[in-house]
Amino acid sequence: MKNSFVKLAGILFLIGAISAGVLAWLNDATKDLIAQNDAMASMDPAILEAVMPGSVMFNAYGDSALVEAVKSENDKVIDILTAVDASGNELGKVVRTLSTVKGFNGDMELYVGFTPEDKISGVSVIYHEETNGIGSKTTLPDYTDQYKGKDGSTEIGEKDVDAVTGATYSSKSFLSAVNNAVKVYSEHLK
Amino acid sequence: MELVSLFITSFIVNNIIFMQFLGTCPFLGVSKNIDTAAGMGIAVIFVITLASIITYIIHYGILVTLGLEYLQTIVFILIIAALVQFVEMFLKKSAPGLYQALGIFLPLITTNCAVLGVAINNIIYEYSFVKSLVYSVGTSSGFLLAIVLFAGVRDKVDYADLPESLKGSAISLITAGLMSVAFLGFSGLQL
Amino acid sequence: MKKIDIFKNGVTTENPILVQQVGMCATLAITTSLMNGIGMGVAVIAVLTGSNIVISALRKYIPDEVRIPAFVIIIAAFTTIIDLLMHAYTFELYKALGVFIPLIVVNCIILARAEAFAFDNNVLDSTIDGLGMGVGYLVAMILLSSIREILGNGTILGFRILPEAYEPMMMAIQPPGAFIILGLLIGFVNFLSRRKNA
Repeated sequence: MKNSFVKLAGILFLIGAISAGVLAWLNDATKDLIAQNDAMASMDPAILEAVMPGSVMFNAYGDSALVEAVKSENDKVIDILTAVDASGNELGKVVRTLSTVKGFNGDMELYVGFTPEDKISGVSVIYHEETNGIGSKTTLPDYTDQYKGKDGSTEIGEKDVDAVTGATYSSKSFLSAVNNAVKVYSEHLK
Repeated sequence: MELVSLFITSFIVNNIIFMQFLGTCPFLGVSKNIDTAAGMGIAVIFVITLASIITYIIHYGILVTLGLEYLQTIVFILIIAALVQFVEMFLKKSAPGLYQALGIFLPLITTNCAVLGVAINNIIYEYSFVKSLVYSVGTSSGFLLAIVLFAGVRDKVDYADLPESLKGSAISLITAGLMSVAFLGFSGLQL
Repeated sequence: MKKIDIFKNGVTTENPILVQQVGMCATLAITTSLMNGIGMGVAVIAVLTGSNIVISALRKYIPDEVRIPAFVIIIAAFTTIIDLLMHAYTFELYKALGVFIPLIVVNCIILARAEAFAFDNNVLDSTIDGLGMGVGYLVAMILLSSIREILGNGTILGFRILPEAYEPMMMAIQPPGAFIILGLLIGFVNFLSRRKNA
C-alpha cells in the first residue's frame, strides 16, 4: 500500500515535533549551567590570575543597589564584582574603574582586586591608549606587581610606587585609577 | 582587502581537507579520476555556497529570533539534505553523465562534514553575510583544489609497486598526509 | 547472529574506522590527545546506541519512503542532546571537541548502522550493534590518539611518559601526522587480517 503524501509528511512532522519537544525541555534544563560556562570562558584567564590568583570568574556583586549608588556618585567606576574560585568560594572583591587623572592619551581602564584582609591582590589593565613601548609599560608585571599586597584601604602616594621611567603621565594615570578603586573599596566594600 | 585575505585563508592556508579534515570521506572515495573529482568538487562548491546562504538566513532570521538555537543541528542538516535532493534532480536532468559518474557519492554530499561544518562555522565565527559567502566559496574551492590535486597524484600512485597491505585507503591516507605537509607550509602566511 | 557476535563484529571484523573506513573527519581532527579521543568516542557511542534504539523501536511505524529523513531527524536530536549535556557538564571537553560534536550527526557510521541494522532488527540486537560499533570506534580513537599524543607530546592523558629530553615529533600532532599515522594503522590492520586469512 503506497502511503499518501499526507501520511508521510505527518509521520515526519510527528517525529520532528517530538524531537523538538525533548530538546526544548533539555535546553531549558541545562540553560543556566551553559550560560555560566560560556561566561567563564569569555574571561581571559591571564587577567583573572593577575587580579585575583586562583580565581576562575568575576561575578556580579551581590548588592546591586550599592553598585548603582557607587556608580552614580563616582562616574569613573564601571563595575563592582566578586572573584570566585573553581568551587564557587568568594576570594575577594574587584573594582573595575577608569583613571581620574588623564594619561598621555586618555583614561586607562583597570581591574583592581582586594582580598578579605583589605590588601590589594593584584591589578590588570583592560584598556589604554598610551604610547606603545613607553606608557604601555605600565601594563607589564614589572610595574603592576608593585601594587600587590599594598593596603587597600588607604590612598597610595606617588612615592610609594616606582613610576615607569619616561612614562610619568601614564604612571600617574594608572595610579589614579588604583586609588579610585581604593577609595570605593574603603568607603563601601570593606 | 579583508575579504581577499579571508578567501585565500579559507582556500589554501586553512584548506578544508588538508588542514581542517572536513570532507575526507568523499575526498578519498571520488578522487580516482580527475574528471569525476572535478565534477564532485564543483557540485560541492554549489551545495556549500547555497547551504551557507540558506542556513545563515534561517539561523539569524528564525532560530535566533525565536530563541531556538538548540534546534540548529536538526534544522541545518534537514536543509542540507533537501538541498542535495534538489541538486540531484537538477543534475539528473541537465548533466546525466556527471550524475552517473558521481553515483552514490552525490547523495552522500549530505553527510559531507564540510557542508555542515562550513554552515556551523559561519555562525561560530560570527561572520557577516558577505564574509560567510566569501568563506563558503573559498572553503569549497579549497575542496575542489584538494580533490583534483589528489586525483592527479593517485593516478600516479596506482602504478607504484606497493606492499599489499598498504594498497587502497592506507596509501591514500599517507599520500594525503604528505600533501598536507605541503599545505602546512602555508600556515605562516599572513595577509 | 548470537548477541556476543553482534558486539564483536562492531569492534573487530567491521570496525567502523579501521575496516569500513567511514566517519573519518573527526578521527583525524580530534585525536591530538588521548583525552579528546576518548571523549569523542564516548559521545559517538551515546549517539549511535541511542539512535539505534529509537530507530529500531519505531521501525514498524516509519514508512520506507521517508526513512532517511526520519533517521536524520532522530540522529540529529541525539547529537543535540549530547551537545547540550557536554556544554553543561563537561565544558573543557566540549571546548576541545568544538564543531566536531554537532558534526557527529553526519558521521556516516550512525546513518549506516540505522539503515543496515537498526531498521531491520529488534531493539536488543540494535542496542548491542550500536554498542559494538561504538566501542570499535572508541578503540580506534584510543589507538590513534595515544600514538599521536605520545609521539607528538611525550605525554599520555597529560601524564609525561617520555623523558623531558624527548623532542616531540610535532608533525604527529599536526594534520599531516593524522593522515599518515591513520594510514599506517589501517595498513597494519590490513596486514594482520591478511595473515589471519592466509
